[in-house]
Amino acid sequence: MEAAQKTSNEKPVFSEYDYSNFYYGAGDDPLNLLRPYADWYREARPAGYYLYMEALETAPTTRVRVKDGKTGQVRDLLNLASYNYLGISYRPEVKQAAHDAIEHYGLGASGSPILSGTFDVHEQFQQELARFKDKEAVVLFPTGYSANVGFISALMRSGDTIFLDQYSHASIVDGAILAKSKTVFFRHNNPLDLERKLTGVKGKKLVVVEGVYSMDGDICVLPEILEVAKRHGARILIDEAHSTFLFGPNGRGVAEHFGVDKEVDFHLGTFSKSLGGQGGFVAGSKELCDYVIAFARSRFFSCNLSPVLTAGLLAGLRIAQSEPQLRTKLWSNCAFLRRRFAEEGVDIGKSNSQVMPVMVNHDSRVLQVAEKIQERGLFLNPVTYPAVPKHKSRLRISVSAAHTESELEGAVQTIAGVLREEGICRA
Amino acid sequence: MPGITRYGYRDAISGFFEFPTENARSVLPRGFEPVEVHHGTSILAVTVFDFNESEVGEYGEVVYAVIVPPLVRDTRLPKSAFFPWQVATTTKAAREHAIERWHLPHWMNDVKVDFQREKGKTTAKVEADGAPALELVVTDHSWQPVSHLYQSFQKDDSGTYLANILFEGEKSEHEEEAGKIVLHENAFNKDIQISEVFETPFRELWMRNGCQLFDPLAQIEGK
Repeated sequence: MEAAQKTSNEKPVFSEYDYSNFYYGAGDDPLNLLRPYADWYREARPAGYYLYMEALETAPTTRVRVKDGKTGQVRDLLNLASYNYLGISYRPEVKQAAHDAIEHYGLGASGSPILSGTFDVHEQFQQELARFKDKEAVVLFPTGYSANVGFISALMRSGDTIFLDQYSHASIVDGAILAKSKTVFFRHNNPLDLERKLTGVKGKKLVVVEGVYSMDGDICVLPEILEVAKRHGARILIDEAHSTFLFGPNGRGVAEHFGVDKEVDFHLGTFSKSLGGQGGFVAGSKELCDYVIAFARSRFFSCNLSPVLTAGLLAGLRIAQSEPQLRTKLWSNCAFLRRRFAEEGVDIGKSNSQVMPVMVNHDSRVLQVAEKIQERGLFLNPVTYPAVPKHKSRLRISVSAAHTESELEGAVQTIAGVLREEGICRA
Repeated sequence: MPGITRYGYRDAISGFFEFPTENARSVLPRGFEPVEVHHGTSILAVTVFDFNESEVGEYGEVVYAVIVPPLVRDTRLPKSAFFPWQVATTTKAAREHAIERWHLPHWMNDVKVDFQREKGKTTAKVEADGAPALELVVTDHSWQPVSHLYQSFQKDDSGTYLANILFEGEKSEHEEEAGKIVLHENAFNKDIQISEVFETPFRELWMRNGCQLFDPLAQIEGK
């Protein structure tokens, strides 16, 4: 075993590996991968992986105090990482509603939503959310993940076919796995490829798309996808995790933005993004929601959303509806940032939303670039393979209505400055 | 018992293509599972070599393989592992050598392999039984010298085997979706559901001016 001996003596650099190398192991012991992973992570963490899971010590406002994952030092940073697109989660009305609710209900729901865990505040929130979405009914889920997993597996069965965009969120893929349906992936945002995949497929068919794709920030080409899906007799589900409360004349989402809200069969969304809270929902007809309540296992085998959180979400929903100027400000901020990045030669890919990937495209350098940017006062997240394709590594920015132009201008100067120093964007 | 076996190559180009897991399972022997890139979608690895140094002289080779989980041991972690289910060579000597030493399942006739090199792109055209079998186009990205460990599994009536292979040379690897494969209707491709293979590789690998160093084949248990 000379070559093996040679290779075991030569210690490879950590950057030759990534999480994907530690996913599959052989042998009879599921713990076999722990040691190789630990050996790798021991090197990877100080080299930049510490940038993941750094602890915040303040509310996710536009400025946050973050505990540096390498030094332990707490620093004041401009926040470009949190969702909280409308800056709602820390509004006084939201905090007061949650405060009042904890006084009234205590901490949690203490039960499944189908047993003892449904409170009057849940019912009120569902009713107001259904009115906002212009649907008959809404079903709440404990997380956005559980909404996709629960809904898809509640509706689809073995023998059915689910068509997923190749950039689908893990919760959508996991829902399809749990449904035991045949899963067919089509090229990202590509109606022609969807057409090719749908052709000749018999039986029940579901096409799943997202309003805004979370790694690239591009919007679904929904009218074209809808046209193809309908022509082939497929139902269509849109996950508006990153677009509910933001897009469309009333903020209902990308489906409303394109004027096809009624043509989309199933609408999902989350409260963790624009409302800065937690939870997910399905909106639709009362018949649909009754069925989902009966068959979505991820919901009825979980504890219900805390009434404290739900009260805060209800307050947040009312703000989102009554203050459309928040959306106006968000899109103004996005336009400003997009223009300034273009002027500075910073590549943000195909983003046309509040999610902006700053393309670094150097897998071995993205962590160092992110580290340098954080040292200069910005909090944002590096994204590398396997979350995105090789050589498509990036820094992901979440724009908020709460950012000021002055803060965003400072961010542009810092990011463009570091990218220039690193030779990643033009001088 | 031979020591390390060395194969020098001018070019080795490889494309990773999505294809149905049910197709992957149909070519894998019992005991092997494909790595899935998505649920229901596995990886067809098509590699074409232009060997310029070996115990049996210069020759061309095309390999159809499924990416499988590596065998994690107390040694260096492999980059990935594959199960080749069909190997074809341009010479009888190369074929007999590989069957004897590596227990590799072979296409038993000589194939014709033609490399067309252009700036930033190489095309390999393969003919089997006098008819086109496949065309593989791989493009380059940034180049760097590497020394990467891979694992290759084989299984036949005599047992299950593992070969540790060290790939050395200049390497380009990317996911720009710029390459292409054309699989022709040919008995050579009888085990592949051609219409279900993505024509664009999600990953392209190109090694040049390097060598493969094979450990002696090791029989393994538990597969």
